[in-house]
Amino acid sequence: MSNRLRSLGVVLGFLGVLLVLVLHWQVFYWVATERSMGVVQRIFYIHVPAAWVAFMAFGIVALCGAGYLWLKDDRLDQAALSAAEGGMLFTTIVLLTGPLWGKVAWGVWWEWELRLTLTLLLWFIYLGYFLVRKSTENPQKGKRFAAVLGIVGALDIPLIHISVKWFRSLHPEPVVMNPDGPTAPPDMLITLFTGVAAFTCLFFCFFLLRYGLERMRHALVLREAGRPGGPVANGVAS
Amino acid sequence: MNNPVLRASGLTRDFGPLRAVDGVGFSLGEGELLTVFGPNGAGKTTLLRILSGGLQPTEGVVSLRGLEQKSGDPEWYRRVGFLSHQSFIYGHLTLDENLRFFGRLFGLKDLSTRVPDRLEQVGLASRAGSPARTLSRGMRQRLALARSLLHDPEFVLLDEPYTGLDAHAASVLREVLTTLKDGRRTVVLVTHNISQGLELADRVAVQVRGRFVLLQDRAEVEVENFERTYRQRVEEAG
Amino acid sequence: MDYLRQVGALVWKDLVVELRTRERVAAMGAFTVLVGILFSFAIDPSVVQPQDIASGLIWMTVIFGGMLGLGRTFHLEEDDGAFQCVLLSPIPRDALFLGKVIANFILLTVVTALVFVVFALFFDLGFGDHPLALAAVVLLGVLGFVAVGTLFSAMSARTTMGETLLPILVFPLLIPVVIYGATATSSLLQGLPVSEVDGNIRMLAAFALVALASGAGLFRFVVEE
Repeated sequence: MSNRLRSLGVVLGFLGVLLVLVLHWQVFYWVATERSMGVVQRIFYIHVPAAWVAFMAFGIVALCGAGYLWLKDDRLDQAALSAAEGGMLFTTIVLLTGPLWGKVAWGVWWEWELRLTLTLLLWFIYLGYFLVRKSTENPQKGKRFAAVLGIVGALDIPLIHISVKWFRSLHPEPVVMNPDGPTAPPDMLITLFTGVAAFTCLFFCFFLLRYGLERMRHALVLREAGRPGGPVANGVAS
Repeated sequence: MNNPVLRASGLTRDFGPLRAVDGVGFSLGEGELLTVFGPNGAGKTTLLRILSGGLQPTEGVVSLRGLEQKSGDPEWYRRVGFLSHQSFIYGHLTLDENLRFFGRLFGLKDLSTRVPDRLEQVGLASRAGSPARTLSRGMRQRLALARSLLHDPEFVLLDEPYTGLDAHAASVLREVLTTLKDGRRTVVLVTHNISQGLELADRVAVQVRGRFVLLQDRAEVEVENFERTYRQRVEEAG
Repeated sequence: MDYLRQVGALVWKDLVVELRTRERVAAMGAFTVLVGILFSFAIDPSVVQPQDIASGLIWMTVIFGGMLGLGRTFHLEEDDGAFQCVLLSPIPRDALFLGKVIANFILLTVVTALVFVVFALFFDLGFGDHPLALAAVVLLGVLGFVAVGTLFSAMSARTTMGETLLPILVFPLLIPVVIYGATATSSLLQGLPVSEVDGNIRMLAAFALVALASGAGLFRFVVEE
């Protein structure tokens, strides 16, 4: 089982890298420059897909966390942890690319714009997630605490979103999710979707490999404690 | 043994990689008292906390008269009383208030008569109005005894109850424990004091490194040799 | 019926202990007065009028001061392990959470009232023309804050990092309370009509509801061993 997951992860990794290459070609040579924002708008094709993955990952964290509390199956916790690490990575990408755009588009490095603010808060929720996991003597307790934080965070994020949006919105209006259908030219949309596909593949590659690693580590810890590992043991042996 | 009322089977508890209780199973008849001996770190307290419902077993089940233990099930806690060497008392509440508080949590209705009665029973009636933090160690333990038996539990758990008691407190405790053996209550006592443990026992167990290495009826135990048997078992298993 | 009796017993116990020790109220009260003093020196009155930013300062004071008290909620309990015994009583875990929230809410309401008095004294603030709407904003905001804070203080008290972890866990989640609470307070202090803050009050109520419901549902996973 874990071998198959790992192979799937590797395949997704190759696919993701390939798509990233395509994405770069599209971003640098193919897609037309947006008129009002200029060349800097091209960072959008990295920024937005990364944000999509960051929030999707948190959804996985919350769902796996809820599943863990319900079923007490360590595998769900390991999946949540793997998704959280991937999510933190992409959240960081969003936070790094956002100011690059902001400096050119708005003239300041940091603007309290809705989605950027939300991502910053998400980053801190992820941070709390890792801290609380590490700070209990009994690891099971840390896993439960992290799951609780994941669930409360997922319930709270919509409220944070509404409140920050209400407080201030400086961002260009959404161009993809417009209720009248997409308004951006097709080449921009295609580039954007390449980005989303590339990052989604890379995220799941990371997620599956990280999950496999966590399973092996779990088996190793059990083995060192003198107890034959559970279902993962074969993953280590083969 | 008459018809068993308490059944425990396959009880196991892991703290991360550490297995504190390992596959413990036993059953007790109505009115029986089991004494569990064992060296420090054998997992005796962990076992008691599992039996009390305060700690979830990783595997295994406990049932009392057919009621299976579930975490947070009020019905379970109504039937169980737990006395530890820690007194579990609010120092800033008076003795009377401490018992009333716990009585209300247990939904007891006749607290105005029950509380003074119980304080009388453990010889603390004259101190009813003083804050619990002014009590000596022995008095605190007597108050804890009154608290743990306040709701007349049918299943009583005692964790090293003699630790740190003065002669008076110890004799009160022994008296109350003797009255506990009224044929209706099932008791599990954990101690490493062999003479005190054997005194009231109907069954005897020795726990080493999480496992029961000995479990027999008190009648089969040779009192004079028990200490030697005990050491032997501990050494073999350790 | 038993449920209410159990919640009542918990609230009564927390308040009696607090009345006897005055530990948390004293700490939070002293903190808020001192913060008021610090703010009055930290703000240059020739640049900003304290009244203009009072609502933000009030909410920050309430939240920072509240963290002091909330962080101690379960430390008091751990002293002699008495809380373990509460966990061994037949009280439903959600009742336990609600009892703790109510007790903390009462304490924090007292402290918040003190904050308003202190700011009114130091910065010559009025309470606006709509004290009832202001009270609704403050009480709902504090309720949401306390619900989140109580859940996570139970968590942080059981970690090795203790209270230092609490703000890291709680602050990002409190953004809605800060935004809606501070803006509504500001509008009301400026004497704007209640209709201006209608939406804020509803959002604060929604936040409090979500926080209470998720806390009540998840509390057992935080306290179970």
